[in-house]
Formats: sequence, C-alpha cells, structure tokens
Amino acid sequence: MNRKNTLYLRRRFVNGFNLTLSMVTVAFALFFLGWILLTLIEHGFGDISLATFTQMTPPPGSEGGLLNAIVGSLLMVAVATLIGTPVGILAGTYLAEFGKTGWLAPGTRFINDILLSGPSIVIGLFVYELVVHRVGHFSGWAGAIALSLIVIPVVVRTSENMLLLVPNSLREAAAALGAPQWKVVMFVSYRAAKAGIITGILLAVARIFGETAPLLFTALNNQFWNTDMNAPMASLAVIIFQFAMSPYEDWHHLAWAGALLITLLVLGLNILARALFRRDVTHG
Amino acid sequence: MVELHLAKPHDIHPEDFQGTQMNTPNKLLVRELNFYYGKFHALKNINLGIPSKKVTAFIGPSGCGKSTLLRTFNRMYQLYPGQRAEGEILLDGRNILDKKEDLNLLRAKVGMVFQKPTPFPMSIYDNIAFGVKLYERLSKSEMDDRVEWALKKAALWNEVKDKLDQNGTSLSGGQQQRLCIARGIAVKPEVLLLDEPCSALDPISTARIEELVHELKHDYTIVIVTHNMQQAARVSDYTAYMYLGELIEMGDTDTMFTKPTRKETEDYITGKFG
Amino acid sequence: MRSRLRRSISQGAILDILFLNTTRVFAFLVFISLFGVMITLLMASMPTLEKFGLSFLTSDAWNPVTQEFGGLVPIYGTLVTSAIAMLIAVPVSFGIALFITELCPTLLKRPLGIAVELLAGIPSIIYGMWGLFVFAPFFADHAQPWINDHLGSLPVVGPLFQGPPMGIGMLTAGLILAIMVIPFIASVMRDVFEIVPPLLKESAYGLGATTWEVVWHVVLPYTKVGVIGGIMLGLGRALGETMAVTFVIGNAHELSTSLLMPGNTISSALANEFTEAVGELYTSSLITLGMLLFVITFIVLALAKILLIRLTAREGKTT
Repeated sequence: MNRKNTLYLRRRFVNGFNLTLSMVTVAFALFFLGWILLTLIEHGFGDISLATFTQMTPPPGSEGGLLNAIVGSLLMVAVATLIGTPVGILAGTYLAEFGKTGWLAPGTRFINDILLSGPSIVIGLFVYELVVHRVGHFSGWAGAIALSLIVIPVVVRTSENMLLLVPNSLREAAAALGAPQWKVVMFVSYRAAKAGIITGILLAVARIFGETAPLLFTALNNQFWNTDMNAPMASLAVIIFQFAMSPYEDWHHLAWAGALLITLLVLGLNILARALFRRDVTHG
Repeated sequence: MVELHLAKPHDIHPEDFQGTQMNTPNKLLVRELNFYYGKFHALKNINLGIPSKKVTAFIGPSGCGKSTLLRTFNRMYQLYPGQRAEGEILLDGRNILDKKEDLNLLRAKVGMVFQKPTPFPMSIYDNIAFGVKLYERLSKSEMDDRVEWALKKAALWNEVKDKLDQNGTSLSGGQQQRLCIARGIAVKPEVLLLDEPCSALDPISTARIEELVHELKHDYTIVIVTHNMQQAARVSDYTAYMYLGELIEMGDTDTMFTKPTRKETEDYITGKFG
Repeated sequence: MRSRLRRSISQGAILDILFLNTTRVFAFLVFISLFGVMITLLMASMPTLEKFGLSFLTSDAWNPVTQEFGGLVPIYGTLVTSAIAMLIAVPVSFGIALFITELCPTLLKRPLGIAVELLAGIPSIIYGMWGLFVFAPFFADHAQPWINDHLGSLPVVGPLFQGPPMGIGMLTAGLILAIMVIPFIASVMRDVFEIVPPLLKESAYGLGATTWEVVWHVVLPYTKVGVIGGIMLGLGRALGETMAVTFVIGNAHELSTSLLMPGNTISSALANEFTEAVGELYTSSLITLGMLLFVITFIVLALAKILLIRLTAREGKTT
C-alpha cells in the first residue's frame, strides 16, 4: 500500500515536472519571437523615414534611403514569380491530375520536397554557373532566375495539395457533360482550387522577399538606381547584409530600416495568405 | 487499492433509483446525472444503479447517450474541453464526479475497452505490463506471472505465449481486442467498461469475447454498451434502455426482453422502431 | 452534323494530349532540376577534385595566396553548429508540440500555432542581424563569463567552453540556428502528434496513465517515424542555413576546440568569399564546398522524406 503510494506520487511529480517543462519551452520560443520583433520595432521605426523610400543607398557618411534596393527587390521578385508560378502550377497539375501511375509523379514529388527545404545558397551557386559564368556578368535576370527556382517547389507543393482537395465528384460531373480533360482541369479544378493556389503563390512571394543567399552570386548588388535587369541589381536583403556587416553607423541604421520593412512585408504576406485561405475554406 | 484523496462518502439510498429492485448491492450509483456537449444536453436526469459483479448492458438507438453515460463512469469526457457532467456518480459510495477525486486513480479502478482494438505501439508483453507498471513495482518474475495471468483470463495466452515480444499490432482484430481486455484486467480494476467491444469484429471473435464477458463477471462489475440487442440478451444480467438522452427503463434482462413495462422499450425490442 | 461532332471530339482529344504532355514536361523539368544542380556543381568542382582529390575533405588549409584549399574547417563548423542547434531545438520543439496538442486550452491553440508559424516566416537575415547586434553582445556580457567559469573548468568537455567572451562564434551560431529551426520541427511534430487516433490515447488514459505517460509511452512510439522525419527536416534546414549563421560565426578559417571561438560553415564561407574569390581554383574550391553541402543536405532530407512517407503509409494500417 505504502509502496504503491510513493510510486504514484513519483509519477504525479514526473508528470507535473515534464508538463511544466513543456510550458517553459513554449515560453522560451515566445520569448525569442518577442525579443526579435521588439528589437526590430525599436530600431526599425526610429530609422525609417520618408527618405528611406525616396533616396538611393548612400556611400558611408552621407544621407540616403533604400529606394534602389526596394525597386530592385520588387522587380526581381515580380519576374521570379512570373517565371516560377506557371511552371509550378503546371507541374503541380501533373502531380495531382495525371500522376496516378508511372514513376515521374512520385519521383518529382520526392525531389520537389527536397528542393523545398534545400539550401538556397546552392541555388545561387547553380545559377552563377549556369548564367553569370556564361554571360560574364552579374545581372538582375540571374537573380530573378535564382529566386524563381525557389518559387517553383513552393507552388508545386501547394498547387498539388489544393487540387487534390477538389472533390472527384466535381471532375466526374464535368466529364459526364462530355468535357475533355483539359477543360475539366482548366474550368473546374483550377477554379475550385483558386484560393488555395493563390495562397501558395503569396507564401512563395513572402519566402523570396527575404531570401538573401541566392542573390549574393547572381544579382550581386548596386549602389545606384537601376531598372536594367541585364545589369547587377540591388535588393533589400543583400543591402541589409552588406550594410549590417559594415563598420559604419549610418549604414547600420539603414539596415535596421530595411530589416523592419522586409519583416513587415513578409509577415503581412503570410497573414494575408492565411486569411485568404481560411475565408475560402470556411465559405466552402 | 490506492486511495489518496478521499472524498466524503455519501449516504446511499438505493430505493431512490429506478431499476434497483435487484437484491445485489450496487457498485455504481448514478444520481440526477446531466451531461452536456457544449450547449447540447446529451443526458437528462439519469438515475440508475449498476449491480456489483454482474453484467449490465446499455441498449438504445445510436445517439441515445449510452456511450456518453458509459464515458462518465471513468470521466473520459474530461479529455475534451466543453464536455461536462452534473450530478453524482457514486462508486462504492464516493462521488467520482467530485473535482477532488483523483482522475488517474479512478481510471485505474474503472477499466475501459473501446469500439476498436487499441493496442499500444509496443510488444504484447509491454502492452499488458504498461498499465501494471503505473501502479505497482513488480519484480520481473512477478510481472511475468501477472502478464500470463491476464492473458489467460482474456483467453489469449495459448495464442500468444510464444510471441510475447512481437508488436501488439501484429495480432488479428479479435486477438487485439482480447489483448486490450487483458490489458484492462491486468491492473485489477473493479469495474470494466466495454464500449461496443465487438462492433469491429467478426462473428467468431465476437462469440469469444462474449464467452469472456461471462467468465469475467465473477470478478468484475461489467458495463457493456451495445447496439446489438441479441448480444445484450446473451451476455447481460441487467439491461437499461435509453432513448434521446433519457433512461426509459432498466430491469433484469429476461424481464426486459420478455415483458418490458414501458411501451417504448417493447417497440424497440420487437423491432417496431430503431 | 456527325462529322462536326467527331471533329470537335478529335480536337478535344488532341488538346487533351497536348495539355497532359505540357504538364508532364514541367513536372519532368522539376524532376531533373536536382540532377542539373548536381551535375553543374560537380563539373565546376572538377579543378579542385583533380588537384586535391579526397584530401580536400581532411585538409584544414585555406590559403588563396599559396592556392592550398581544404574543406575540413567549414565542414566541421557546419556539422558542429547544426549539432548544437539540434541539441537545443529537438527537446524544445517536442515540448512545444506536446503543449499545443495535449495541454493547450482550445482558446490558445490557434494563436500559438500562428506564433510558431510567424517565427518560421521571419526571414533568416533578420535572425542573423538580431544575432549580431543584439544577441551576441548580450551573450558575451551575461552568458559567456558564466560558461567560462562553470563549464570551462569541467573535465573532458571543459576545453569546448573556454575562450574570450566575444559573443560571436560557433556556440552563438548554433543557438541562433536552434531558434530558427524550432518552428519547423515543432510544426511537424504537432502535425504527427495529431494523427494519433483519439481512441489509442483514451485507452492509455483509461488505464490511469498521466498525460506525460500517454505522450511518452504511446504518442511518441506511435509517431516515432514522423518525429524523426521532422527532426531530419530541421537538420536539413540547419545545415544549409546561410544568413543566420554568417553574421555571427566570425568567418575564421581555423580549427579550434572551443565552441566560443569563431569558426566557419560551408554556407558562410560561400556568402563571405565567393564573389571576392580570384582564380579558378579558389572559386572551384568554394563550389566544391557547396556541392558537399548539397550532397549532405540531400541525404538528410531524402531520409526525412522517406521516413515521413512511411508514416503516412502506415497510418490506418495495422503494421
């Protein structure tokens, strides 16, 4: 009786102890999330001003903003999304709609999931060898291609998942009307999965906005105004890297401003994507 | 048994409850029990007694609350926020719905077997030993004995004695369910709750489980929920008929199936309804 | 009339074939892209491999002047920082997943899930910058002296924790990596914990098991394969992460026992040196490092994927 009692007390203690530890781990993660966000807000809002959006990146010791970097980021992200999205959707369509048999679909699925979490700096190396090395100079195009290679796996994964959520009865109903398969996919499957696919694209955009590593060896950087995709191009992420690693105080301030901008944008896109997806799911 | 937090014993008035004209003492007494899933009122003012060392069956159409009632006996509902019970359930005179009542100790006293077999992802031996280890420190040989005892009780020993180290999931469905019963009785509970234990089994396995229930009632108080009236008639001593969250009638099984007092019970049993 | 019908049918059939094959081509493009990356990097690595052969893996030389290159320092740094990250991230992620699936009040479940996903959404460069400007100085002032005094004097492991409190170094990099990969591992663990059938948990609770016992003896063994898959996924992230590490690793091509000393990882060596590398051999050596990183992460991620596929295949089955 007494021995049973001590055993039970010990079990209750172990249970309580471990469950408390589990709460501590949650507090640990939230603490760092809070710390990082607070730091960003504290530094970022102090350093952001109108000039941030209207002036070029300055040489050390003078006033300036991030305009060329913002424009460069927007340009490359836009081009990367334009290249990556159709490729991703079409490949995802194959996986979801036609990939029931054969080796290609499972093989692609497997490799796509590896690309999804693969090291992005290696993508930079790959595009460097493929484009920069051949052409002979860094360029916005090379940067956009590198980013598009990061967009593709994200869009493939979400497109496939979303198309698989479309009930088969919808496809059958369309096919029963005599619609050929391509029409079924284009006018039924895509429409039914639209919100989910857009969510995936938004998540992909959010992801590449913050990507630095693949741009380092492709788009490089540019201190000046440039909209020529054929020349080296600045981006917010690379400018932040360069400025934060520099010894100059005023560059640090600009780096913080850029960091806040990027985080707000990325988290905003994430939240927008989620809200869009949830609305679609709840409304059927 | 382990009794850490003793709730105050309540006065028992068996004559207050319907269906307790039996001359056996009641193991469980349910008094004015109401149960809610959020806002939904699932059990309405239930009063009944579960006789000791007998088999009591709960029957009724699906959604009538029979499983819900069963799950209040070990407070399984408490895993899910929004589900709550009001009233009293006395186990040997102690109100188990009392907040001070220790949940784990209660569940060690009131074992449960579910609709589907639920072998844990571990060996057959460890499946049985798992629950025992929670409450008793046994030597290796004592534990071996206990495992053998439980598996023999559950009529599974001969089939598995050579493969005790195999994964519990490697057994057939009927064997898995008997393993779960063995696991339940290995901790030596006082009450065994069976929630449609045969619904996922073939007729042969079902027959074996029913035999087993007959064996087990010498040592345990058994409550079985079933949607199968023949099964209730075969295995139980007492039967309670529930409908729409209310207890319509309870009595000894022979009477219930031959001359029920309530018209609703008769309709259900003769198949005019449900 | 009939011929028009037939024509439109055959047109539909042609378009069907066209559409199917277009999607197939793009799927194939995705499929071969991985091999494309592999082959491209291998070709660019040839000069290094021809010059140094396998000794590239074991040499700690890194001298652009004498054209001596070896990958040992960054490879070691990559493995060590990732190991530190996993040592911290795995138990913390498990705790978070346990809390979200078993303990969390329903009201908190969603906000917590969102917070974890926000943590995953923050770009890695932000972690790096925060690490350099905020965490490293804090760590140097408040944590490292303590580590030096208490852990540095221990037998055997002591030398790992001796060194000047600079803030930057492999331990800091590992810590920041840990914070970065926690959300990835935690969300996989949460997802796999949620596939455990409620009946299985109920039967463990039904025996009188405590929440911890249910999680440790039933939920974890049941989801073992998926949990390992999630850990590998996090490891893959940690190995390949560039920006969070580059800021705080110190970029020193030296092998040191102490975790408090600056070091280098493959990705940070690439980020710091690649655009400034002069000469074919220097560039090629960096690309060889990149290829090694790709191969290591490929193996880790492929294993993760296989384990997760196995778990999904088992779900609902008996074995």
